Amino acid sequence: MTPFTGILLASLPDIFFSLDSVYVLTGLVLWVFAAMTFQDRDNKRRFGSGTFWLILGAIFVFGSKMPHWMTGLLVLAMVVIDGTGGVARGLYNESTKAEQESHARRLGHRIFIPVLLIPIVTIIFASVFRLLKLDVNRGALVGLGFGGVCAMACCLWITRDKISVLMEEGRRLNDAMGAVNILPQLLASLGVIFTAAKVGDLIASGIYHIIPADNLFLLVLANCLGMALFTIVMGNSFAAFPVIATGVLAPLIIQPFGVRPEMVAIITLTAGSSGTLMTPMAANFNIVPAVLLNMKNQYGVIRFQLPFALTIWSLHVILMWAMIKLF
Amino acid sequence: MHLQDLFKLSGIAIVVIGFAFRLRTTLVVVVAGLVTGLAAGLPLFSTGGLFDAIPFLTKPGQEGIIDMLGRAFADNRLMTLFIITLPAIGLAERYGLQEQSAVVIRKLAAATVGRLQVVYQLFRVLTGILGVRLNGHPSFVRPLIFPMSVGAAEGIFHASSAEDLPEDVVEEIKAATAASENYGNFYGQNLSVVQAGILLVFTVMSGLGYAISIFSLVMFAIPIASISIILAAIQFWLLDRKYRRKATTPR
Repeated sequence: MTPFTGILLASLPDIFFSLDSVYVLTGLVLWVFAAMTFQDRDNKRRFGSGTFWLILGAIFVFGSKMPHWMTGLLVLAMVVIDGTGGVARGLYNESTKAEQESHARRLGHRIFIPVLLIPIVTIIFASVFRLLKLDVNRGALVGLGFGGVCAMACCLWITRDKISVLMEEGRRLNDAMGAVNILPQLLASLGVIFTAAKVGDLIASGIYHIIPADNLFLLVLANCLGMALFTIVMGNSFAAFPVIATGVLAPLIIQPFGVRPEMVAIITLTAGSSGTLMTPMAANFNIVPAVLLNMKNQYGVIRFQLPFALTIWSLHVILMWAMIKLF
Repeated sequence: MHLQDLFKLSGIAIVVIGFAFRLRTTLVVVVAGLVTGLAAGLPLFSTGGLFDAIPFLTKPGQEGIIDMLGRAFADNRLMTLFIITLPAIGLAERYGLQEQSAVVIRKLAAATVGRLQVVYQLFRVLTGILGVRLNGHPSFVRPLIFPMSVGAAEGIFHASSAEDLPEDVVEEIKAATAASENYGNFYGQNLSVVQAGILLVFTVMSGLGYAISIFSLVMFAIPIASISIILAAIQFWLLDRKYRRKATTPR
């Protein structure tokens, strides 16, 4: 074996098991969705929708190679398409309830295998990466990607259906969420811009005017309260998190007190979830179900959740404060 | 506070107002980013690219807002990786994934309204741990959990049909079934390394310069997830107790 092929063989797993390889795979899936959307005559916005998924696919495939300004402009193009109502749903040749029930009787619990395969492959990859002393975070994400591929193959094998049906069903789920799919990615980018613009320092200095910098309990209280209030107003804890993390959590709690970031960050996020339980702005979770269940009072779900939400929010404050003190 | 500082905060105001008024979320977020960047005096583009020749678009030594947006969006592709799992889940749904899940829930199901909510919440925590994203209100709560809960209440109130149940009880059961979905979903989803909340926290904290592990994020999500299960169990147990008392006192 020549040294060259040796190096090539050694780097093959690196290439194959890199995040880029699963990004490319995801991009290809998106391109298939885009191609199907362009042909979907029942989608009133098929060119806008198709272009949206085509661009997202291109960012997945070429995102690591493209210059950043080009990716940025493509993101702007996607947002303009969505902002002008250009992303819509089509028709997906859906199965009927009766068909699903007869399939369920025939296949039984076997239908769980492909779905369970996704977390199993994810965990296997993460464990192997840990054994090889590679980045475990990357292992889990690469595992998710290959888990999705394994699940597709397994599902086709169990159902004996066609690949075209497989992709059509994937497109159905993807379009059900629509352009909101990219919202978490955009919010994380917003956090980066906030950091560059030093918005966080500004909020932090504002809070220092009210709360003494050495009073940990009041800072924790301000952090959890800010997170819940922002979530209540916006109806979305994911949108509140970048603001609170850059403005309160990092500069006022993690840095000065030397706290483990993982510990307080996830508790801050769920302090926001407690806000979600209280707000009609989170219509998907609180108002839509009330309509779905024909409730007399459209705020009935929120009213039921309120005592739970207030209790668990207070426990967030106490837990975060106690954990910082203890660890 | 300086005037420029006030303008910088306008980005947050745009997000708050935009989400509150239900404007297109994607548009709101990107406009907020552009406004914040421009208010902070950042250039639109980095130097060294195509845009050097055009005045005002670049500033030496500073990363442009558009470049930053593109870099962050590409770096955070991991948040949208779940799309690759959609074909398999979609096909499994076509072949009765929901119906078969309903079979499992029916087998586990308990005889009272409250215990049924606890079982369903645990089922949602389990789907969260497995990294499965599902919208449970239309797929499980409305077609399965609500009718089963009404059935359980009929047993407790010795009613022959849902019409014989007190109206406020039926309304409360509706709210309880919707709530058990939210409790299980919100706090259970952080128990998997591939769910959106964990990945958002991971990318935002990485953007702030903290090298963190997604597995420790999940570990630190366990206390609150456990508390959510206990608190909800208490609330649903109180509901059962209320119905037992109500059923024995004559109306």
